[in-house]
Amino acid sequence: MNTTTYLPHFPTTASLPPSALHLIDQISHNFNKIPGSAIILRYIRSSYQDDPIRSLVELFLVIFAIRYLLAPAYSTKKVKNVPLTEEEIDDLVDDWAPESLVEGETEFERLVAERGPVLTGAAGPRVKLAGSGKTVVNLGSYNHYNFADNADLKAKAIQTIRTYGVGPCSPPGFYGTQDVHMKSEADIAAHLGMPACIIYAQSFSTISSMLPAFSKRGDVIVADKACNFPIRKGLQISRSSVRWYEHNDMEDLERVLAKVVKEGQGKPLTRRFIVTEGLFECVGDLVDLPKLVELKMKYKFRIILDETWSYGVLGRTGRGVTEHLNVDPLNVDMIVGGLAGALASGGGFCASSREVVEHQRLSAAAYTYSAALPALLATTASETVALLQENPQHILTLRENIKAMRAQLDPRSEWVRCTSHPDNPVLILVLKDQHIADRNLTLQDQEAILQDCVDEALNNGVLVTRLKSMPAPLGASGKDMQKEWRPRPGLKVCVTTGLSRKEIEGAGRGVRHAVTSVMKGKKWQRVGG
Amino acid sequence: MASHAPPPLVVQNAEKKIGLAAEQDKERNRRRRRSSSLMYQEPPESLEQQSDQAVNPNLNAQWVNAKGAWMIHPILIALLKILYDILPGMSQETSWTLTNATYMAGSYLMFHYVRGVPFEFNAGAYDNLNMWEQIDNGDQYTPAKKFLLAVPICLFLISTHYTHYDLTYFMVNFLATVAVVVPKLPALHRMRFAFFNHEPDTVDGR
Repeated sequence: MNTTTYLPHFPTTASLPPSALHLIDQISHNFNKIPGSAIILRYIRSSYQDDPIRSLVELFLVIFAIRYLLAPAYSTKKVKNVPLTEEEIDDLVDDWAPESLVEGETEFERLVAERGPVLTGAAGPRVKLAGSGKTVVNLGSYNHYNFADNADLKAKAIQTIRTYGVGPCSPPGFYGTQDVHMKSEADIAAHLGMPACIIYAQSFSTISSMLPAFSKRGDVIVADKACNFPIRKGLQISRSSVRWYEHNDMEDLERVLAKVVKEGQGKPLTRRFIVTEGLFECVGDLVDLPKLVELKMKYKFRIILDETWSYGVLGRTGRGVTEHLNVDPLNVDMIVGGLAGALASGGGFCASSREVVEHQRLSAAAYTYSAALPALLATTASETVALLQENPQHILTLRENIKAMRAQLDPRSEWVRCTSHPDNPVLILVLKDQHIADRNLTLQDQEAILQDCVDEALNNGVLVTRLKSMPAPLGASGKDMQKEWRPRPGLKVCVTTGLSRKEIEGAGRGVRHAVTSVMKGKKWQRVGG
Repeated sequence: MASHAPPPLVVQNAEKKIGLAAEQDKERNRRRRRSSSLMYQEPPESLEQQSDQAVNPNLNAQWVNAKGAWMIHPILIALLKILYDILPGMSQETSWTLTNATYMAGSYLMFHYVRGVPFEFNAGAYDNLNMWEQIDNGDQYTPAKKFLLAVPICLFLISTHYTHYDLTYFMVNFLATVAVVVPKLPALHRMRFAFFNHEPDTVDGR
């Protein structure tokens, strides 16, 4: 191919000096030597096609691509490198004093640990203290039906250990599931009247890993402000948007639900849940389930009900809030409960539809990654569920004892009142508002007063404890704590059927007198103004 | 507990420097925000989201740097071309234009339309970002991004060539190409048209 062919295209060819013509010749000759140059030339020639604008567009694209290809890479993340000299770095490192991983023990915590009683033997209704050797009444364990002293249950547990060993040592999805687990799941599902049930190995981690299995970032959870610590952990792990409503305030709940629905209009649909407790761990009162179901239906939410403290306690046969308030359990989408309390076993469960249960077998972290419940606890749970169903007398006796205990405390004591529901065997006693205002008591003061009450009650021969179920969030300042809902400091009195009515009344008197003597004592008189 | 004595002067200076840098950073952020109602920039991730993003490598975007990930583009294009060629009554011009349009549509869908990660890897921490913004952790002008921009441009040049520069075909091919090239521009990183997109919730669980 001769280069001169192209030259006539340029009108000024003739006017160029011979040296320039020679240079052009030279360049085109060299260009022709590059392999593939003929193709490029043909491409360019045919692409021109007497359409300069289109060719310009293409040329522009090519230039843009070349510029893009040659540009140096950079990060869009903000890099906060501050230029510091070596000396400054060394000084900063020397000056840095790391905060301790665990805060040191406070004076109050040290006192509590020092005064804490040590028991010898089983934690039955009467326990023997190490040291003094004194026998006291135990109102500090969730041994509500005194199943801890039941010889039949013990014999069956021992028999199970002989057959199955102490623990399955494997997650349920691997080889941890045994026939007894499946039987317990079926027993609890049948007891509650739900289609299916899944058993977790720990009561605490049941709801805190079941919540994140269903609710993800972007989903909405409306939760009661008084929800217990495991629920809070679950909400935190789930990364969902959490809205709070005032404790047990159904009007406030409706306001929040309506707001969520309004905000969600026109946006992609997300999963929406209402999370609340049956009997509240930190307050002791009961949820208004019929109203909750009505609101759920109206605003199209799902209910996750934590019955850890109400399953096995409320209802004629211990089915919990649904039986107590005559609500069809199928209206509650997920019922979460604990087997570690009244049922004298261990672990927790979630009862729901078959799909919801099967979903958790692969997506709930505590089920997938924790070793399964020991077989003896699974059989114990089955047994105690059967005992409650077959013999409602257990529950009736417990109610009698609760009534006897309350009679000694709530209306009688001029210092404390009970925030628990009348059928709740865990009586939470808080100081009356009037005394708190009169003496100007801070939360710390109240905790200290109640600790003194606990100690005084032990002197009177009754072992009770304080409400300690809500540790402060890590790194929370005083200001944060004022904004956050905090449970009121309270005494916890756990009623059991292992004591006669007389003994219960005596123990109640002991607690009442302990509170009175502490509140009348010199130590707490000075606070006030 | 740290001592209560004031830190040495050098330390104070260094701390002042760090504080100044943070201040400048804040200033820059403020200026970058647009008040226009039509367009907004996806806000930076919260600390919680960042930590969730860092938990796992982003498997959704990582594969573009894997072996064979570049090769699949020419292979897919060739397969598309063969597929359209074997349809009876198909002219070369239509076949090339369809190949081009199909590739561009697929690439737009994959890199710019779909957001988030289809699997449960990072607890939804990437839910607000499309795949182009996830690639290489949002860095610009990385080899993978250069390759992914060069492929549609080359395909466009080839297909316009084989459609013999007919104006209609040219316009179809050109618009298809622009649709995938423009969202790749660094200037449009994390930009959203408010008309199509609601501003995402920023409330995080606690």
